[in-house]
Amino acid sequence: MSSWQKYPWIALVAARSNLAYWGDVASRFIFLGVVLYIFLRLWQVTYAQMGAAELGGFTLAQMLWYLVITESITLSGPRVAQAVDEDVRTGVLSVQLVRPMSYPLFRLSTTMGERLVRFVMNLLVGSVVALVFVGPIKLEGAGCLIFLLSVPAAFILDFLTNFSIGLGAFWLEDTSGLLLIYSRLTMILGGMLLPLELFPDWLQPVLKALPFSSVIYGPAHLLVHPDWSAWADLAIRQLSFILVLSLFVAFLYRTALKRVFSNGG
Amino acid sequence: MSNAVKVEKLAKVFEFNKGRGFSKTRVETTAVDRISFEVPEGQSLAFIGPNGAGKSTTIKMLTGILRPTSGEAEVLSLVPWRQRNKLSRLIGAVFGQRSQLWYHLPPRDTFELLSRIYELDRSQYLRRSDMLIERFALASFLDTPVRKLSLGQRMRAEVAASLLHQPRIVFLDEPTIGLDVVARQELRDVIREWNREEGVTIFLTSHDAGDIESVSRRVIVINHGRIVLDDKISNMRRRYLSSKVLNIKFHDEHSEVAVNGVTVLKSTGYALKLEVDCQVVGMEEVLHHVVNAGSVADITIEDPPLEEVIAHIYGQAGSSEAAENVEVS
Repeated sequence: MSSWQKYPWIALVAARSNLAYWGDVASRFIFLGVVLYIFLRLWQVTYAQMGAAELGGFTLAQMLWYLVITESITLSGPRVAQAVDEDVRTGVLSVQLVRPMSYPLFRLSTTMGERLVRFVMNLLVGSVVALVFVGPIKLEGAGCLIFLLSVPAAFILDFLTNFSIGLGAFWLEDTSGLLLIYSRLTMILGGMLLPLELFPDWLQPVLKALPFSSVIYGPAHLLVHPDWSAWADLAIRQLSFILVLSLFVAFLYRTALKRVFSNGG
Repeated sequence: MSNAVKVEKLAKVFEFNKGRGFSKTRVETTAVDRISFEVPEGQSLAFIGPNGAGKSTTIKMLTGILRPTSGEAEVLSLVPWRQRNKLSRLIGAVFGQRSQLWYHLPPRDTFELLSRIYELDRSQYLRRSDMLIERFALASFLDTPVRKLSLGQRMRAEVAASLLHQPRIVFLDEPTIGLDVVARQELRDVIREWNREEGVTIFLTSHDAGDIESVSRRVIVINHGRIVLDDKISNMRRRYLSSKVLNIKFHDEHSEVAVNGVTVLKSTGYALKLEVDCQVVGMEEVLHHVVNAGSVADITIEDPPLEEVIAHIYGQAGSSEAAENVEVS
C-alpha cells in the first residue's frame, strides 16, 4: 500500500466521527436555518426600501442563495486552530509523532473529511430554506461544476491559515485572539455577510486580491454568476495562496519541530 | 540475547529564560544526567521515579521525539532521533492519559485506521486483530462507540491498538491510571501474558506499585536525572526491606512489648501490630519477647508494601542530592 493512501482513510474516519453525534449536527442545522432567515428578512427590507430589483448585480433570490453558500462554507469550518493549539499544549503532538505519518497531513485529512461532510449537509439544509422562501435560481451545469472545483481549494487555503495559527501555540500564550481576528476578517472582508460588489468601488480590487475572498466570496459568487474566466482567475489566486501558505506552514512546522526536539514541546 | 534498548551516558539539558527584561537570565536544568542502561529483548522493565525525575524525557529520547544534549542511545539498533520514522513502525506506545482511540467511533474503526497508518498487510492485519480481540476480550464492545465504554474496556482497547502493528517494544506510560481494582488487575495480567508469550519488550512507567510488581521483573529508579537503582524487583525488596511487619493475636490480654528497634503500630486488648527493624534487632529476640508477652494464638510476618519501599528509595535519593539549576547568565 502506498504511504499516501492512509490520508484519505484518515479523512473518511474523521467524516464518520463527525456524523456520529447527531445532537451536534442538528444544532448546527438549526443555527444555519435561523441565520439564513434573519438575513432573508434584512435583505427583503433593504430591497424594498431601495426599490431596486438588483443590488450589486444580485436579485433578492440570488442574494439569499449567495448567503446559503457563504454561510455553508463558514459554518462547516472545523476547529482546526484550536485542535492544533491543544495538541501542542497538552503534548498530544508528541504522541502523533510516534506514528509513521505526517502530522500536518494528518490534520489536513481530518479537516477535509469533517468539512466536506458538514459543507454538503449545510448546503442541503440551506438549499431547503432558500427554496422555501425565495424559490430556485437559474443554475447551469457548468456553473455548478466550477463552483464545486473551487470549494476544496478554498478549504485547503482556510486550513493552512488555521493550522499556522494553531502552531502559534509554540510561541504565544494564547492563540485565540489571532484566530478571532482571522475569522472576523474572513467574515467581513471575505464576503460572508455581503458580496464584495456592495463595497465601495475603490476597495473591491483590494478585497478581491486578499486571500479571504478566495475562501468565501470566490466560490459563492461562481455559483450565482458562473463564468469560466472568473473561475480561472479564482483558481490561479487560490493556487498561488496555497503555494505560498504551504511554504510558510512547512517553514513554521519545521521551526516548531526543532523546538519539540530540543525542548520537548 | 540482543539488546532492545541500549543507552550510554544519555543526557538532556533544557535551557530556558527566567525573568523578564534586563533581569532575564538563561537557566539550564539537567533533566537527564548521563544515564546508562541496557534492556535485553523480551524483558519487562519498570522505569519509575517521582514526578519531574526525568522519566518522560528519557522516553521521549528513546522514541525519537527529543534530541539528547549528549550521549548515545540505540533502540532496536536504530538511533531514535535520527531514524524516527523507521523506528515508529517497530515500537508501540500507550499513554494512559492520552487516548488514541476515536472518541465517537467504535474501537474497530480506530483499528482499521491504524492498519492503514502503519500500512499493514491486509490478511496479516486481520489475523492479528482477531487474535488481539480474543486475548484482550474486546469482542463484546468492539462495535460500541468509545465514549460509551468503561475506562477499563477503553484501556484494554488502547493497549490492543498499540500492539496491532506487532511492535517489538511497547512503551506503557501510566496504563492503569484511574482504573478500578478489577480492571487494573485484568489489564496487568494481559500485559504480562503478552510479554511472556510474545516476547515483546515492555517499558513501563507507573506510579502504581501494583503495576510494577505484577508486570515487571526489573526496575530502574530514576531521580533528579540519575539512576538510583537498577535491579530485579525481588532484590529491591530484599535490599531495601530491612523491616518486617508482625501481626500477633493473643488468647487473652497481653502485656506490652518494649524492645529497641521495634515500633508498636497498633495495640488492642488481644492483638498487636509491630514493625521490626531487622538491622537493629534480630527476629528471634523479638519473637522471644512476644511469646513472653502473652499466650500467642496466631502470628503473621509480612514485608511492608512495595509502595513503602519505593517511597523510601525516592526519599533517600532526594535527601542526598538537591535539584540542580545552573545559572549561566
